[in-house]
Amino acid sequence: MSTGGSTTQPVFDEASRIVVAAALDAQVPGASDLGAVAYVEQLLTALDHDPPRIWAAPEASGAEWLELGAWERAAWAQRIDAMRVAYARVAAGDATEADRRMLHDHACEATYGDPAYGGNRDRGGWQRIGFPDPMFPPARAAQTVDATPAEAT
Amino acid sequence: MTDADCDAIVIGSGPGGATAADVLTAAGWSVIVLEKGRNHLVDLDAPHDPLRHLANDEIALVHRHLLGPDPLLEPRTYRRSVEDGDRLLTGEVNNLPSTVGGGGFHADAKLPRFREEDFALHTTRGPIDRADVRDWPISYADLEPHYAAVERIIGVAGEVGTNPFAAWRSSGYPMPSGPDMAMALVSSAAAERAGLHPYRAPTGTNSVEYDGRPACVDCGFCGRYGCPIAAKGDPIASLQRMLRTGRGQVRPEALVTEIVLDASGKRATGVRYLDLTQHPDAPVVELRASRAVIVAGGSFETARLLLRNDLGGDLVGRNLTYHFQTFTVGVFADDTGGDRGRDVTHLHDDLMIDTPELRAAARQAGLPWLRGGVTEHGSAAGPVDEAAMYPGGAGHLAAMVDSSLRRRLWVLTMQGEDLAQPDNRIDLDPSVRDAWGLPAGRVTYRPHRHELVASAYSARVHEAILADAGSQAAFSATSPPQDHIDLHGDISPIGVAPASRHVMGTARMGHDPATSVVSPEQRLWDVPNVLVCDASVFVTSAGYNPTLTLAALSHRAATLLAD
Repeated sequence: MSTGGSTTQPVFDEASRIVVAAALDAQVPGASDLGAVAYVEQLLTALDHDPPRIWAAPEASGAEWLELGAWERAAWAQRIDAMRVAYARVAAGDATEADRRMLHDHACEATYGDPAYGGNRDRGGWQRIGFPDPMFPPARAAQTVDATPAEAT
Repeated sequence: MTDADCDAIVIGSGPGGATAADVLTAAGWSVIVLEKGRNHLVDLDAPHDPLRHLANDEIALVHRHLLGPDPLLEPRTYRRSVEDGDRLLTGEVNNLPSTVGGGGFHADAKLPRFREEDFALHTTRGPIDRADVRDWPISYADLEPHYAAVERIIGVAGEVGTNPFAAWRSSGYPMPSGPDMAMALVSSAAAERAGLHPYRAPTGTNSVEYDGRPACVDCGFCGRYGCPIAAKGDPIASLQRMLRTGRGQVRPEALVTEIVLDASGKRATGVRYLDLTQHPDAPVVELRASRAVIVAGGSFETARLLLRNDLGGDLVGRNLTYHFQTFTVGVFADDTGGDRGRDVTHLHDDLMIDTPELRAAARQAGLPWLRGGVTEHGSAAGPVDEAAMYPGGAGHLAAMVDSSLRRRLWVLTMQGEDLAQPDNRIDLDPSVRDAWGLPAGRVTYRPHRHELVASAYSARVHEAILADAGSQAAFSATSPPQDHIDLHGDISPIGVAPASRHVMGTARMGHDPATSVVSPEQRLWDVPNVLVCDASVFVTSAGYNPTLTLAALSHRAATLLAD
């Protein structure tokens, strides 16, 4: 998986960044400390890269990011344009209910998704809930489930 | 015809299309498979190894439409009835993957067979008011050799003799069952104490190395994820076999818009498709087939294509069925281990069986009979999905640590038999269009009272089982929801529209053109060299996961076509 995000250009100015970080933290406390603003900025600038930073590629693929099809790229351009408008509202303190749902989604993805997307810094989101790391590939011996039935309580 | 591009064109590369293409190329036919989605599955160049595009990446696969379809490009609409107006919502409705491999790619590969009775429900159980209950034009015995064949091709792991209700088999499973999920043993023991008969689920996931593909490592990312190591045989096995004959090819990003007929209007000569590798103007490409066109886009897209082409008659799109899903959720004090394993390792069929208890429940409800569905013991959710289910705010981290909706969760999911009703249908939305200007598909669907009664029955039984298994709390929910409609479907974990990806019955098979769309050989009555090879042809939904049956039907239809 790509390490991602290291060359993402900032989208927000300093004042906007503080407001957006607070809005993300309001959904998932601690999200911004785990890179949620970087996650959003990487998403909003995903199409500035080639391949776009939409789908991280596994190491086995030999690439860092998967190519998008021509029509998929167009759909993501449309989606990102709408997100930029929404984040402008957030930064201006004018978030709508739909914007807050977007913030919730992004805060969750940034905190508990793959670090390739710019969030979950140092896998801190996974660590704070005890989620296994690394996700894949696991060693078979470590992942085979215990076939011994637990006692019903 | 001597100037044809191939013997047969197959529209759709999912389990139905891939199986048909495999059978036909093995019989010496040349086949071109057209897939509107992109390819993340198999190298189209020899030796056709799996592509390595996938990781256990919840963002890419669950939230960013890696396997398609992107709802901005391919919106669908939904309403419960005409009383909702033209539509209730626009966006994602039963979106199976739009990618090479189709719906098989994302499934967690539970592959039970139907039982004998499922093909003769009108004979064995009889009619029900306001439902169109019919027998299939074929029997289990007709299909059994093809079940056995596709089990071998896909590689199904299972065990014979532990499900007392299973239909007869001509052969065993090609692989033994894989490791049990520990909590499945606990819930199975409770089910047995309740008098039920759980058994190890037949799955298309390798328990041992099979056909050159490795054994599953029980990573836990199964349903909704493609397998990063190709331990699932469906659909890669059929596509690899087809490609390796040298007589088959797959063209991704090829959206079929038209089935081309000859001057008589009774024979298909090929198709026209949009080459979606080009943007913004996707050129039209014409492709000719000398012998047959096989439609295998899945019950939603197959109906949509036939409707756009005015093929198949007035019944196309009607009698849409899902499985009416009832999720009985138990929250336990300790981790259930549901986030590792194959999502589901155990099933029980008891609520499909004609028992005194179900007869009594039917009588009490004023119904002649009652059938539930196969019930899956399992649990799976990634942390992003879990996080999205909790309200934002100060308590969010505590909820994640407590993890009542992931680590401490165990679910009995009943795939309830959904009775066919002519008003439940796919048609063309009057105004919503896709990115290429084609009318979006629209679902009109409302469950029959039978489904609601069966669901309530299952909820009582399954809540008691989970309580006996040790749950702190157990509750049930259905998809689609019954009590109220939350119009914020985008934040509801199961949404407003049916969440089931088991979509069936929009081009039923039968003996009579007046009551069916395709013949017993799955040929359109009005254009016989057009075959339908997916779950559209199902006459009843049964209460079993449909993939193995649709693949077996496709295997049978293609075998008959090639003979």
